[in-house]
Amino acid sequence: MVDVSEHELVPDHSVLAEEELEDVLQEYNIDRTDLPKIKRADPALPDEADVGDVIEIVRDSRTTDQAVVYRLVVE
Amino acid sequence: MSEIDYDPQQKFDGVDDDIEAVVEDTELPRRLKTKVYRTVDERGAGVEDADQIAKAVENRYLDTRVDPLDPVGTVSAQSIGEPGTQMTMNTFHYAGVAEIDVTQGLPRLIELVDARKEPDTPMMTVHLEDEFAENRERAHEVVWKIEATRILALGDISTDVADMLVRVDLNPDTLQERWPTVDNLAEIVGEISETIESKLGVDVVQLDETVIEFGPDEPSYRELLQLVEDLREIVFKGIEDIDRVVIRREDTEESEDGEFVLYTEGSELGNVLGIEGVDASRTTCNNIHEIHRNLGIEAARESIIEETMNTLEEQGLDDVNIRHLMLVADIMTNGGGIQSIGRHGISGSKESVLARAAFEVTVNHLLDAAIHGEIDDLNGVTENVIVGKPIKLGTGDVNLRMGSEPARTDGTGEGAD
Repeated sequence: MVDVSEHELVPDHSVLAEEELEDVLQEYNIDRTDLPKIKRADPALPDEADVGDVIEIVRDSRTTDQAVVYRLVVE
Repeated sequence: MSEIDYDPQQKFDGVDDDIEAVVEDTELPRRLKTKVYRTVDERGAGVEDADQIAKAVENRYLDTRVDPLDPVGTVSAQSIGEPGTQMTMNTFHYAGVAEIDVTQGLPRLIELVDARKEPDTPMMTVHLEDEFAENRERAHEVVWKIEATRILALGDISTDVADMLVRVDLNPDTLQERWPTVDNLAEIVGEISETIESKLGVDVVQLDETVIEFGPDEPSYRELLQLVEDLREIVFKGIEDIDRVVIRREDTEESEDGEFVLYTEGSELGNVLGIEGVDASRTTCNNIHEIHRNLGIEAARESIIEETMNTLEEQGLDDVNIRHLMLVADIMTNGGGIQSIGRHGISGSKESVLARAAFEVTVNHLLDAAIHGEIDDLNGVTENVIVGKPIKLGTGDVNLRMGSEPARTDGTGEGAD
């Protein structure tokens, strides 16, 4: 199988630590279920990610240099 | 572009510590800071000028940011919708990149936001690695692994009705061309015979070096014709859905000779990425679902933005701000899968009955809501417009009321009357 993380369309995905997640949720004043989702079967998901984890995604943005977004792993 | 430890002084000679300090002090994003540095550098401005420039840019930046409670979705819809009215209504297939027909204009845009399972004209752009990209012969090896090769491309078929036999006269030159890695003709012919035997369930007899023959078990004219029909469908090499591959030399920044890039009619990204010689980091297709399946939701989001922007640019409507398209892509990929805009997707999953009914198939939604006893909390815009209440957007979301006393009692005359 090909390593999809090498593809130029795929930004960096990494599992967010619980403590950091608290800060993020506090900053935006939201629940973790309010975050955008990512499927468990997503090919770009890191292997260690499990349902309920939050993934930190660092995109090369068109409007600023780097944009950090979060997605909650579902099903 | 995206270094964390960015050093403007190294990049621009005219920037010193003081200038860096005043610019870094602003709330500007990196991209704008770099622009400020560049301008300061080009104009040879001093610290005071730089400070003024940075402040002015910062003010303008803060000024143009989206205000709280701004209806960004509505603005996006209008900003994409208006140029959409200027797009060509007809599907103009045209010889785009390398003579491959691609759906353009409004039909393509609709296809994208509707998140169709399969685009009207699927295609792939296949980039190659190392020597495959430099050498035409090596590039062709990849072409034959991708393009579907059927029997008609390999030789002539003739039917012998008297003996109830199908004879295939293979063309040795074509065989050598399409199996460039195999030197031995007999081996190729053997491979073809095996494929026919396993797919059609017949015994293949090799008459000559390149002539093979087979027939139905029982002499039957219908069976014979059916065999020929089936024979034409067999894919001997390549990927079934890919009918045509065009090879093209393209200029690159790194190499003077450029590189060979393949364009395909039909797409099967998952299979192609695994082929030897294919650069799996740059190869893409125009089917957003295929990208989603093989590269994930983030790549799908990226390709929705890319494809919609390209479609607009193609029509000379490139002044649509990319942020609108990013918003659309964000909404479409929010749930982890690709959702279409419209009745079956985003609009259909709205909470409010009235909002759904206002969009399409009004009666069905009202009827279903009545049967299930749905309650509308009147939180959104549409439903509040329908019932005639203020909408919760902009000034509609804040509660202002006149004070019972003047706001200021210090005699300056200002304040509420």
